[in-house]
Amino acid sequence: MFMQDILTNTVTLSRIQFALTAIFHMLWPVLTTGMAIYLVIVEGLWLRTKDINYYHHARFWSKLYVLNFGIGVATGLPMAFQFGLNWAPFSEAVGDFFGTVLGFEGTMAFMLEASFLGIMLFGWERVPPIIHWISTILVAIGANLSTFWILTANSWLQTPAGGTFVNGKFIVQDYFQAIANPFMVNSFLHMFFATLETSLFVIGGISAWFILNRRNASFFAKSLKVVLALAVVIAPLQIFIGHLSAEQVYHYQPAKLAAMEAQWETAPAGTPADWSLLAIPNDRLERNDWEIKIPGALSYLLELKPVLDQPVKGLKEWEPRNRPHMVGLIYYSFRIMVGIGLFFAGLMGTTLVQWLRGKLSPESIEEQKWLMRGWIFAAPLGYIAVETGWIVRCVGRQPWIVYGQMRTIESASHIPAGEVLFSLTGLTAMYTVFLMATLYFGSRIIRKGPNLELPAPRTIVTPELNMQPAQHIPDQRPAEAQ
Amino acid sequence: MEPLAPLQNFLPQVWFCILGLFLFLYVLLDGFDLGVGILSLTASSEERRSILMTSLGNVWDANETWLVLMGGSLFGAFPLAYATILNALYLPAVIMVVGLIFRAVSFEFRENADNKLVWNLLFGVGSFLAALGQGFALGSVFEGIKVDELGHFAGGIWDWLTWRSILVALTLIQGYVLIGSTYLILKTTGELQQTYYKTATIATWTTLAGALFITISTPILSEEHRAQLFSAPLVYVFGAIPLLGLLCIGLLLRSLKRREENTPLIYTFLLFCLSFIGLGFVIFPNIIPPSVTIYEASASPSSLVFMLTFIGFLIPVVLSYNIYNYVVFRGKIIGE
Repeated sequence: MFMQDILTNTVTLSRIQFALTAIFHMLWPVLTTGMAIYLVIVEGLWLRTKDINYYHHARFWSKLYVLNFGIGVATGLPMAFQFGLNWAPFSEAVGDFFGTVLGFEGTMAFMLEASFLGIMLFGWERVPPIIHWISTILVAIGANLSTFWILTANSWLQTPAGGTFVNGKFIVQDYFQAIANPFMVNSFLHMFFATLETSLFVIGGISAWFILNRRNASFFAKSLKVVLALAVVIAPLQIFIGHLSAEQVYHYQPAKLAAMEAQWETAPAGTPADWSLLAIPNDRLERNDWEIKIPGALSYLLELKPVLDQPVKGLKEWEPRNRPHMVGLIYYSFRIMVGIGLFFAGLMGTTLVQWLRGKLSPESIEEQKWLMRGWIFAAPLGYIAVETGWIVRCVGRQPWIVYGQMRTIESASHIPAGEVLFSLTGLTAMYTVFLMATLYFGSRIIRKGPNLELPAPRTIVTPELNMQPAQHIPDQRPAEAQ
Repeated sequence: MEPLAPLQNFLPQVWFCILGLFLFLYVLLDGFDLGVGILSLTASSEERRSILMTSLGNVWDANETWLVLMGGSLFGAFPLAYATILNALYLPAVIMVVGLIFRAVSFEFRENADNKLVWNLLFGVGSFLAALGQGFALGSVFEGIKVDELGHFAGGIWDWLTWRSILVALTLIQGYVLIGSTYLILKTTGELQQTYYKTATIATWTTLAGALFITISTPILSEEHRAQLFSAPLVYVFGAIPLLGLLCIGLLLRSLKRREENTPLIYTFLLFCLSFIGLGFVIFPNIIPPSVTIYEASASPSSLVFMLTFIGFLIPVVLSYNIYNYVVFRGKIIGE
């Protein structure tokens, strides 16, 4: 009966489809946006130090880059059309602002990334090194601009600003105010660092795998050190920005905060608030069936004070129709994300200490077995942190599609459930295959390893645009040039 | 509000043209992309298929991005049209998206696979499905979408499937094959190039047949179009376009016969351009034919101005770096 309800409900199916496509799609760009910055850095190091190893790093990692990029584009296409296909009333109501932002994303970000990607991947021999490096930089800028616009759009859904809803349609009064909505800066930074951190730990984990297996250990010690130099800054900063974001949720979306902390009862001002470390939330009985509490900790986490200045509202303050459900999902997603962030910082700290003690030198790095295993273990964690973070953000926003203004249930297209079921089934099957194929081909690229024989591009001698007609050889896309 | 009235008409018109430009560039550029993909199904050897794929390697992604750009801008400039058209075309849109996804992933997976058969097939079939979905979408927008008084979609899920939309879909596929083969004439040499001279010649005739049928049946079957097209000054445009189109086809056939390398692609571009202008005149001022105009479906003027400030300024920039990309990778692709 329950199953049948889902299968015949257009809104539920549309929500599942959006969640599924978003969760799958995220897996690819989250790596490429961060990795683009890494590629800019190693290529820059090559140009500066003329150390051919950095050139080989740029070539090796861009193989993984292009694999992920292509799938990212493919899985992103349904996202671009889904608003109209499945969320027509929503698209109409907020199109003035939301559509504008998506239009900006296409023109400013996607096109830049897609056009210069060709030069970045295949242009090594065709443009001077400096132009190539600029192309890589433009790819990185394009990728991160799309993070910016997507996070602007999503932040606006969380904290709508810059206009008012009139008869169910959003009228923009001030575009810049709508773009600079309260969540925008922190959310963008949090996601920007999340993509960077995820890709750094993927690169670090793969490098550690090579080191542990004694394949080109000194070569991969270099990439690990580049990763570490960046992670030293990013891992702690990310925790700080995450903290600021949670404070904003406390301020702007108290119901989401209550779900993140599984707080059913209000903790009044002037008292210390307990923080639940682990719990089994029960949506139906509106309480936690079991929990471990740390007395007074929540008031420290939120306000850095022993007693609260403002009350922390409990979920029961809202009628069930006005607050998020699936509290357990939100609660544990939040804890998993935070746990991974802390683990990253700890791993980074440990590795830094070993580096300073000289244990990461080419002679002794292979001895750091447990440290390398730690990095391999960390490689997939960034993805999990990003996905759980978005679950907190968007499941916690429910029942609203535009927070406090428009309900999700009013926003779905009035199309037959069968149509949505058809696209949902197809997309699920396809995405599952793509995920497996990416893992398979990705691990092949990794196992094959870098090509350290590759000579530096010959254009380095003649720094002019190669005016000869192109003579590219099929399947010798530079990513595969042996 | 009175002094703003001309502006309120002008802005949607500007956006209609910008979206037309995006769609035109998409059809032109991804057109040869998809055409090459469909032709890859007929490639006789793995080596030839590799040449075909290589000719697209650096551009397919940017070409596909014009569609995303057009989708995003339609959402921003005409939210009602974005919502209603996509609702009406749910199935063709899904077919197109699935096709484009197949293409994109097979590009990457094929490169790394030992057994390329699956990905070759997926690439060709994906290209075909994408072209098919687009053809159905174009055909049914052309035929008109049933809407209620608020402009929301009021038809059934199979409305897009009519004999005329099938005809448009088939013609569009022919057009894509034509543009794809003329692109390959430019990019290949020797025996392979000769093959595509033949393909291009055949595709020219099939495209011509489809286009003639659509052009002639439009005023005959639709009273509304008849009234619109045969009133001055449109009658001159409507008269001129088919004539210019025939001229283009004549020149195209001649250039193919003379085995010229660059001109077939140029004439095909011109042919697409003419069809597009013709289509624009038939649809304007509607955005959801036959009844919702661009003025009714547009976003607020402030929104249009805001978008125009940024996107309008970026269009020349985007065009320049796209051209630069083609310049860097100009020239023939040679086999080993």
